[in-house]
Amino acid sequence: MTVEVNIPPVLQALVNGVNRINVEGSAVGECLNEMVAKYPQLKPKLFNKRGNLRKGISIFINKENAFPEPLLKPVRPGDKIYISHIVLGG
Amino acid sequence: MEVNTGKILRVNLSTGKVSRESVPESIATDFIGGRGYGVKYLYDEIAPGTDPLGEKNKVIMLAGPLAGTMAQAVSRWIVCTRSPLTGAFARSVCGADFGAWMRFADLEVIIIEGKTEKPAYIHITPDGCEILSAKEIWGKDTKETQAWLNSQHGKNTRTACIGPAGEKLVKYAAVVSDRRTAGRCGTGTVMGSKNLKAVAITATRALHLADPDTYNTLAREQVNIIKDNDAFLNHKEWGTTSTQDITNTIGIYPVRNFRYGQQVDYQKLAGAEYRKLRVGDMGCYSCPARCGKVHTVTSGIYKGAHSEGPEYESIWAFTGPIESNNIEASIRADQLCDDYGLDTISTGNTIGFAYELYEKGLINKSDTSGLELIYGRHEPMVALIKKIALREGIGDLLAEGTMRVAAKLDKGSDVYAMNVKGLEMPAYEPRGAKSQGYNYATASVGASHCYGYAAQDIFGAPFPHPTDRFDEGNADIVIFNQNSTASNECGVICAFAGGWGWAQLYGKLLAAARGIDKFKDDAYLAEVGDRMFNLERAFNIRQGFGRKDDYLPDRIRTEPLHTREAKGEGQIVGHSDEFLDKYYELRGWTKDGVPNEKKLKELRLDSVLKDIKV
Repeated sequence: MTVEVNIPPVLQALVNGVNRINVEGSAVGECLNEMVAKYPQLKPKLFNKRGNLRKGISIFINKENAFPEPLLKPVRPGDKIYISHIVLGG
Repeated sequence: MEVNTGKILRVNLSTGKVSRESVPESIATDFIGGRGYGVKYLYDEIAPGTDPLGEKNKVIMLAGPLAGTMAQAVSRWIVCTRSPLTGAFARSVCGADFGAWMRFADLEVIIIEGKTEKPAYIHITPDGCEILSAKEIWGKDTKETQAWLNSQHGKNTRTACIGPAGEKLVKYAAVVSDRRTAGRCGTGTVMGSKNLKAVAITATRALHLADPDTYNTLAREQVNIIKDNDAFLNHKEWGTTSTQDITNTIGIYPVRNFRYGQQVDYQKLAGAEYRKLRVGDMGCYSCPARCGKVHTVTSGIYKGAHSEGPEYESIWAFTGPIESNNIEASIRADQLCDDYGLDTISTGNTIGFAYELYEKGLINKSDTSGLELIYGRHEPMVALIKKIALREGIGDLLAEGTMRVAAKLDKGSDVYAMNVKGLEMPAYEPRGAKSQGYNYATASVGASHCYGYAAQDIFGAPFPHPTDRFDEGNADIVIFNQNSTASNECGVICAFAGGWGWAQLYGKLLAAARGIDKFKDDAYLAEVGDRMFNLERAFNIRQGFGRKDDYLPDRIRTEPLHTREAKGEGQIVGHSDEFLDKYYELRGWTKDGVPNEKKLKELRLDSVLKDIKV
């Protein structure tokens, strides 16, 4: 079940500019876990100590917001997951 | 159900005449309210060539149809006028309580015309309106002014006022309410030109809704959604005091007058550092986020500095342009701007410009009264704010904004003036977030970050589709962002609150507030946004603006960006003409950037055709 995870600009800075990665998984949480296994430096940026997503991170599947409980949302082969920082603006 | 189109208070300062009128239903249907009403009335009532600081310019204050209700984060308000800084359409958005108080007085629009002979303020109640002497408060700062007005009219009074900068006609003076500002475009300057110190409203809570039962049911639903929304909780915790952590990391924090995209040792500016000085939170009417983070400096040369803010733009304005990492100086600078009534973005940008003029030898110590404008030194920046506000020494020149300073100095200084249409660029580097940059280029007001904020480039938001932030081909994204912002500003909903998970309720709330069913249709709201943007464009075309004014500064288009440790080194915005061709085509504009006949008819703006000679 190949799913594409898109990494936002601010986190690309931690992974040598990589902006997307293909992973296997049937739910968002599984996909992100595979990604942080490859890029452990992303783990503290995405997850808190309890393993939940940190405040300020939004997950979209294709163009739909995965809120609420985004980590449990199922994904299908070919889906695209987008990690976005919640709009802070200024 | 009776349609509620909102009421207008018209005050002529020259004649003293005051009148109230209802907005016609046709205007309510086509423009909804808020900024929609602003552009409609400004277009209809300001003739081409009107002097922005002359008696015939008007100040239009606008609350949205949702303001002052139990719905959350919808009580912001707007000032529209012809800008003295740019000559273009001006719209500036403010928070605090004033928008709610307008609605309590059963007003959505206050149109201020003419000019008083002596300083005055307007006092409004639900049943009356007086033009009173401002002798006691002329020359006072915004805090003193509001305190005096409260002492005169009681605690149920809320005020929109100017400070000394507005009185001195600093071109980028702000309108201040509590500690929030309608900062951009010199709206406070226009108030100053009319000798108008303040507008004060004394009122108590009152609702004016077409269908209050439906409205309140929807508002309760909105409250339930927001309270658990992650974006809301994040905004409540930080406001925008940590955005610089992201923009520095990705190399879009403009430094040294837009030469670098990342500040050296930027970790010293981190949100966590500002948090150490945080002493409280403040918010707008009926908004639980309380995103105004209050800071107090407890030691050093700025000990005692105290401000609601700085928020992201102001953090940048008083650090990035001069490459200072002194957060205490930024708090002091923010406080001074709020007290004097200055736009922080134009102030900080103009000071960064002055530092570069000094570096290049185009001005020197004899021009600056001995101040050494050397990058990294924050003390001269703080000193310049007072000089600008009071037009003292070189402050008199800098009070004109970067475009006019460059024109007056000549000596080739225009290449260092970082503005679009005369409005100073804000805190996002266009070469590292190109859809944001092209929003600066094409926004009706000039370089505004929030006229079509490119969350796709900056945060990776994937709708309506994801972008590569270095790609110059996203004209559709720029238009989507600009039109949806316009539509949201009919509300007038807070730009942040739009991301708190209740967007599907917005149109329904508008429909229940107005009694106009078609507002439930998202496609119709998008059409209204498009209509507003096109009418703003027509306003500008009629004032002489066109394609020539839709370019970013030369530096952005020709000088490679330096990003230090971030991605994007060497980027330029190099395809402006291709972008504009595509943008104009998608908008239905000619190659010269003029809305074409088909587009205007489609948007029911036929009457504009004769004015802009398509």
